[in-house]
Amino acid sequence: MNFEPSEDQASVLAALDQVLADFRAPPVEPVASAYSQDLADLLAESGFLDIAREDGFGPLDAALVVERVSRSPWAVETAATALVAPAAVLPAGGGPIALLEGKAGGPARFLPVARKLVFLAGDHAEILSVRPEQVAPVESLMAYPYGRLQSPEDRVVEAVVDAVPIRRRWRVGLAAEAAGAMAAALGVVLEHVKTRHAFGRPLGAFQAIQHRLAMAAETVESVRWLARRAAWSDTEADAALAAGFAQSRIAAFTYDLHQFSGAMGLTLEFPLHLWTYRLRALAGELGGASIQARAVAKAVWGDAA
Amino acid sequence: MEFGWSSEEEAHRQGVRDLLAATLPPDWEALAVHGPGSDFQTDYSRTFCPLLAEKGLLVPNWPAKYGGQDAPVWRQFILGEEMWAANEPRGAQYMNVNWIGPALMRFGTADQLERYLPPIREGRAIWCQGFSEPSAGSDLAALRTTATPVEGGYRVSGAKIWTSYAGKADTCFLLARVPASENGPAGKSAIVILLTDMSSPGIQVKQIPALIGEGDIHEVFFDDVFVPAENRLGEEGQAWEIITYALQNERTGIARYEFSRRMLDRGVARLKAEGRWADPVVQERAARALMLCEAARMLVYRVVDAKAHDLPADAFPSVARWAVVQADNGVNDFLTEFLPDGLIGADPVQLAHHQRAIAAGVASGAAEIQLNLIARRWLELPGEPKR
Repeated sequence: MNFEPSEDQASVLAALDQVLADFRAPPVEPVASAYSQDLADLLAESGFLDIAREDGFGPLDAALVVERVSRSPWAVETAATALVAPAAVLPAGGGPIALLEGKAGGPARFLPVARKLVFLAGDHAEILSVRPEQVAPVESLMAYPYGRLQSPEDRVVEAVVDAVPIRRRWRVGLAAEAAGAMAAALGVVLEHVKTRHAFGRPLGAFQAIQHRLAMAAETVESVRWLARRAAWSDTEADAALAAGFAQSRIAAFTYDLHQFSGAMGLTLEFPLHLWTYRLRALAGELGGASIQARAVAKAVWGDAA
Repeated sequence: MEFGWSSEEEAHRQGVRDLLAATLPPDWEALAVHGPGSDFQTDYSRTFCPLLAEKGLLVPNWPAKYGGQDAPVWRQFILGEEMWAANEPRGAQYMNVNWIGPALMRFGTADQLERYLPPIREGRAIWCQGFSEPSAGSDLAALRTTATPVEGGYRVSGAKIWTSYAGKADTCFLLARVPASENGPAGKSAIVILLTDMSSPGIQVKQIPALIGEGDIHEVFFDDVFVPAENRLGEEGQAWEIITYALQNERTGIARYEFSRRMLDRGVARLKAEGRWADPVVQERAARALMLCEAARMLVYRVVDAKAHDLPADAFPSVARWAVVQADNGVNDFLTEFLPDGLIGADPVQLAHHQRAIAAGVASGAAEIQLNLIARRWLELPGEPKR
């Protein structure tokens, strides 16, 4: 048991922070979602997203990268490339990758910028190459670029692989991404309640607000450490548990953060939504918290006696 | 960063489990339902703890010079996890190991170390902590019990309440206040810690009938009780520093989530036996309770790990404690809803867990105080103005 980063992990994260330093500021224009091709290119070129494939590194290191990048206001695809692709036996450097479950024509995060699509259909997953002209962008409040296949019935499946490792890594990635987004969102609101005054004192001096933010802090820490453990152990139970825990907390967590931001939090000018609307998107992936919980129950306790 | 156990740690855990299996009476589960403070468990600790001591498993975390083994932090923690999961056969003595002994080592005089440490490390000392009072619970600094300086020591008068283990304790880790004098210390600075012999004339202990089990809470009355000056721990004015240090060790010393986790496993086994496990709602709710246990486990591990790395103290233990309270209550809520008969005669062990769970957010300071601490010291939010 060791919660401290190794020297290698610390140096990877320090290098990653240097890349992310130029992407700390949210977009100047009020936008519902902020995708950065520049950040995506930098991450791909520098090899951060292929870290799980390097000798001496693995899914935990990939999850640390996903978590860290997810703190940026700019949404870029990391989890599928860094965590799912190695498990789907996809070659390195093949991202961005979109993930989809359910209907082949459903909306998928990052599909408008993706080169590959992993479509989870029951116990197997289809791997497809994607060209921009095959994708119709979908406008939404969710702070990711969404798109759907224009003609899903005409899709050309390149490979069919086992769904189990894909679903597992998707869950780990989801939890790691939630951990980063939650930490950043909480940071924005902490700054707000320390500086915004009402009734002659900072909002953050009201105990009613303090207690809910303290609970939010527990959520951030729990999501973070459960995600990291799931990445480290790479087991079905830990992965479903981390994703399910994160998803189960998203509704109350995002509600409180918007509530404490007042009407400012309802605007696109205030950057909070760039994280909370990624979290709300994640809340419903892979069937949501209830489905993850049932997967946990099955993995930990098995089926009926 | 890694989240597994070394082969030594695995072997240590297995060794503790084997010892428990070989030592505890076959009907231990039924015997232990009244909790660590019960007469039975206190008496049992007087034979069980010496056995642990003999095997080097009572105070391995203590420094060798005080009779320990300088064992790694994790080794002691694994021991505590297994003990709490087995409904704490060390009874009240877990407190001695976790924080009373370490507080004495840090702040005690040579004479105090010689007097108090051997009985603790040999497993034959029962302590209680005289902290809360009728008008001072979570707001500990408001305590009113007085320790009036007299020749050779102090005269103590006042009342303590909610005192666990007081009915059986030999010694009380007592907090009292030196009465205010002109230009004298006030507030927290006026508090002293007196290691008080519970057989002193003038002490009266009354058990409080409660929802949370037998022997867990008492009133303790001090009527002009003489405590010799050599029994004061630390200097006058140093008490708050000592308490803060001691409570850091206390608050995460109990692996409550592990007992809850095992109760959940037990509940699932019962549901399976009753043919009710196939219901997806039952599975989902059980897993949601499990999520709370595992979140609490990770946060407590993070606290233990910081200690293992000798990192400076921070407010993270409060974050972990909030998660632990959620876990205890989450499991209790699940069991109460899906196995209600467990609380109505069918499962005394479930009832014992229920009794631990309903106290989880109150014992050792209200959980809301932890939220205050998280807000102020972890999130660095501004203080609420005093009224």
